[in-house]
Amino acid sequence: MTQITLAGDIQRAQARAAAKSEGRGDIGLAGWIVIAVASVAALYFILGPLSMLLTAAFRGPQDLLPFEDGAHWTLDNLAAVYLDRNLYRVIIPNTLIFTIGSVMLTFAVAFILAWLVERTDLPWRNAVYTIVLFPLLMPGIVLSITWIFLLAPNTGWINVLLRNVVGGNTGPLNIFTMGGMILAQGIGLVPFVFLLLSAALRSMNPSLEEASNIAGASPLQTILRVTLPVLLPGLLAPLILATLITLEQVETPLVIGFPARVNVFSTRIYFELNPDSDLPAYGKAAAVALLFLVCGILLLLLYNHLIRRAESFVTVTGKGFRPARFALGRWRLPALSFIVVYALFAAVLPGFVLIWASFFGYAFPSFGLLSSISFNGYFDLFNNPRFWLAVSNTFIVALSSASIVTFIGIVLAWTIMRTRLPGRAVLDFVSFLSLGIPAVIAGLASMLLYLSLPIGVYGTVMVLVLAYSYRMAVATRLTRASLMQIHAELEEASSVAGGQWLTTIRRIVLPLLTPSLVASFVLLFIIGFREFTIPAILQSPDNQVLSVMMWQAFQAGKTQQAAALGTMIVLFVIPVIFGLRRFVLARDGKD
Amino acid sequence: MLKVEELERSYPTPDGIVHAVRGVSFEVEQGSFFTLLGPSGCGKTTTLRCVAGLEQPTHGRITIDNAVVADPANGIFIPAFKRDVGMVFQSYAIWPHMNVLDNVAYPLVVRKPRPSKQEIRDRAMEALRLVGMESLAARSATKLSGGQQQRVAFARAIVRHPKLLLLDEPLSNLDAKLREQMRYELQELVARVAITTLYVTHDQAEALAMSDAVAVMSDGLIAQCGPPRAVYDKPVNEFVAGFLGGANSLGATIADRDGGRGSAVIDGNAGTVNVPLADHIRSGDRVEIVFRPEDAQVTFVPGAAGDQVRASVLRLSFQGGLTESHLKVGDTVVRSMLHPSVVAEPGAEAWIQLNPARCVIFAARPRDQQ
Ligand SMILES: Nc1ncnc2c1ncn2[C@@H]1O[C@H](COP(=O)(O)OP(=O)(O)OP(=O)(O)O)[C@@H](O)[C@H]1O
Ligand SMILES: [Mg+2]
Repeated sequence: MTQITLAGDIQRAQARAAAKSEGRGDIGLAGWIVIAVASVAALYFILGPLSMLLTAAFRGPQDLLPFEDGAHWTLDNLAAVYLDRNLYRVIIPNTLIFTIGSVMLTFAVAFILAWLVERTDLPWRNAVYTIVLFPLLMPGIVLSITWIFLLAPNTGWINVLLRNVVGGNTGPLNIFTMGGMILAQGIGLVPFVFLLLSAALRSMNPSLEEASNIAGASPLQTILRVTLPVLLPGLLAPLILATLITLEQVETPLVIGFPARVNVFSTRIYFELNPDSDLPAYGKAAAVALLFLVCGILLLLLYNHLIRRAESFVTVTGKGFRPARFALGRWRLPALSFIVVYALFAAVLPGFVLIWASFFGYAFPSFGLLSSISFNGYFDLFNNPRFWLAVSNTFIVALSSASIVTFIGIVLAWTIMRTRLPGRAVLDFVSFLSLGIPAVIAGLASMLLYLSLPIGVYGTVMVLVLAYSYRMAVATRLTRASLMQIHAELEEASSVAGGQWLTTIRRIVLPLLTPSLVASFVLLFIIGFREFTIPAILQSPDNQVLSVMMWQAFQAGKTQQAAALGTMIVLFVIPVIFGLRRFVLARDGKD
Repeated sequence: MLKVEELERSYPTPDGIVHAVRGVSFEVEQGSFFTLLGPSGCGKTTTLRCVAGLEQPTHGRITIDNAVVADPANGIFIPAFKRDVGMVFQSYAIWPHMNVLDNVAYPLVVRKPRPSKQEIRDRAMEALRLVGMESLAARSATKLSGGQQQRVAFARAIVRHPKLLLLDEPLSNLDAKLREQMRYELQELVARVAITTLYVTHDQAEALAMSDAVAVMSDGLIAQCGPPRAVYDKPVNEFVAGFLGGANSLGATIADRDGGRGSAVIDGNAGTVNVPLADHIRSGDRVEIVFRPEDAQVTFVPGAAGDQVRASVLRLSFQGGLTESHLKVGDTVVRSMLHPSVVAEPGAEAWIQLNPARCVIFAARPRDQQ
């Protein structure tokens, strides 16, 4: 998987390429129009909502939109949020514990799995690689709800089982605690971090360790002095990215944290917008978001620094075979058990509990129940026009935003790499910045923007498409990485042969870029399909998507229907995941 | 000093067992420069890695300095870090998280007991000075050019004066000009440190220029082993002859044999050459006459002396200091070098004057038999 980074080697190569194609004369009017449209769109999708957010934080009173009649400049919002002791006593500590706890759990599990798959003689490694990625099938909101099915204090299956042994009539385990949140969140993020870690482990040149061995260092010395230091930036970068993602999570804190009365940053924003009684507090939400945004961007810069360092360390040469793998010996069984337990809790149990509940409701499974199977969950769903609306909404939003972002991504990447357009560094930076904007902030900012703009998109599917389309980083970076490998002379040859700029792009560049375009499209489609936070914030009767609908069914106590919905979501994602596996997740250099 | 006996190494792979090395034996004398030469995939690196201790042989025995370091039959295997060898990897394997000095000092730092800080520094600087890199000691390892990486790798390999120096195609990652320059530099360095060296390359010019002894490998076996000149002049088979410097080969039939010599009639009756013959070749046998381009003198009028082959000019290509000529003898193309002043039209008649003493005769391979 390609790492996402701001500068480094890419920038140097780009400087070289740009110096060569200086004064590129073949772009023409049509070309510049395309570039201008894409650049303006990119800047708008990212900076538009953000600037509205910044403004809103300083406009009051807090229940008015920033430019509504009666709104004025004020510091009240900031005061209300940042002078509130609750923020320092509860929200920040909770956020820290939740984030650090889950990231540590994620990292420990993902590292062990990645190490087993990449560096040991574990049997069935390729199968294990696929199994570890399985939970990607389940959107976060579905996963969180299945954890409730499993570990709710009274009815959770595991608790029912345990009570047979330890007795009592509630517990012993309770998902509605900080520990429960950490568990659910930590396990859920393992596949993603595993992907990045295994790529980092794989990219290390085995002769670096062999050279240490030859130099007379014992195996332990080699690990301490060579293996770990060389891998460090490549391992820390995923850690930082995981922190960023966990910090912005709304699903787990909402589904599990709310009943547990554990409030964190992301839900704080959500609740300011959906208060039990009052009107939405736009100004206060925006004020909370400011600090959140700063944290996100700081983490992003740290991440970028680490990735650049890791890139300069990558010394894999094409030649040679993988080094001897660490022989597990008698650790083989424990290793396999670890994988089985992981698979059980991350994929098998959640999957089973979801499907079971869609047919039998919430009851603990038994053979006696088999006769009481009911397809009502699905019938109700299929007979409900709102379900079909949600299906079409979900597809429309995911497909259009993926197309828009992929298109803009190509143009931006090409402009950054191949032209000397002044301001392309700004484009580069802004598109990278999008990685540090939490979804909850994107949702809030879009809400403020489109409630204020009188163009009538608020409450439609369109607003979701616009709001989703800020995630420029993935497309731009993936395209840029593969553009780097396409020599500029291939394009110049087409130009010399008489091709107009658009012809060159269409007949030379796009075909060569196909793999990375497909990869970024599929990735963005999946992100869009699983998205919960943005549509939850921007929801209205007409633009509900599947994930939001499932959450509402669950909240309304329609367990069976919620489970059926969750199953349907997974069924929809499966074919796409196979595309993803083919284009993005394939293990380059399998053994 | 280094003795490799009956070395074998095979790898189980999904498509069956790969025999990378199939029974290699050679001996390297104290202080000498020994080269394993062969085409890609013939097992050179595998052999070298077995000597280094990075691979376990499946069979055979390796002795360094009278100590057996690998002997699977007796369960002996000393891992690399206990062998006291230095190695330059093909990719150089410079550690990116250390600067140049730390890279070079590493073999001393991990040594037990650890020498004093001052001593480590002095010796590392001395090694760097040897390769002309002392001014870059503080440079980050990620900011080195190919040639500089190569020098650092070399300094690191010799810093603790190992018993044996192993070099795996250290020049193959450099571009052509630099490669030539580094070849001389490397040769000089190796001579100066006076460490027994085992060198791996697929470049015959490197092998011939640098080595005291060369082993030509093919398909996991050693085809011929000896001093460069002997191997070049008296290749034992066509593979060795062809691999070392583009030999010409003409088919011929032995007309009559007289004592140690016989006359060979070139196919198509293009000429007769009186050549020394090995015992097993008889009158009437088909043979290949193998000779180097530089041993074929081309004239455009028939001379009085014997040992001439009639040919026609296919093309001459002017290359500055010399002209390479391609001549046709029957259906075979013969290469030779001419003085650049010579000109001739394609199709012109020519004669190749052979020096029988510099021809090597092989019995023709069965499939050439007519
Ligand atoms: N770990 C391995 N697993 C399977 N086959 C291997 C392994 N290592 C080497 N081989 C095979 O053994 C043969 C010899 O490999 P080796 O690396 O020794 O060749 P080489 O002579 O060094 O070639 P080159 O000049 O290309 O470096 C090759 O056919 C190679 O494919
Ligand atoms: Mg090799």
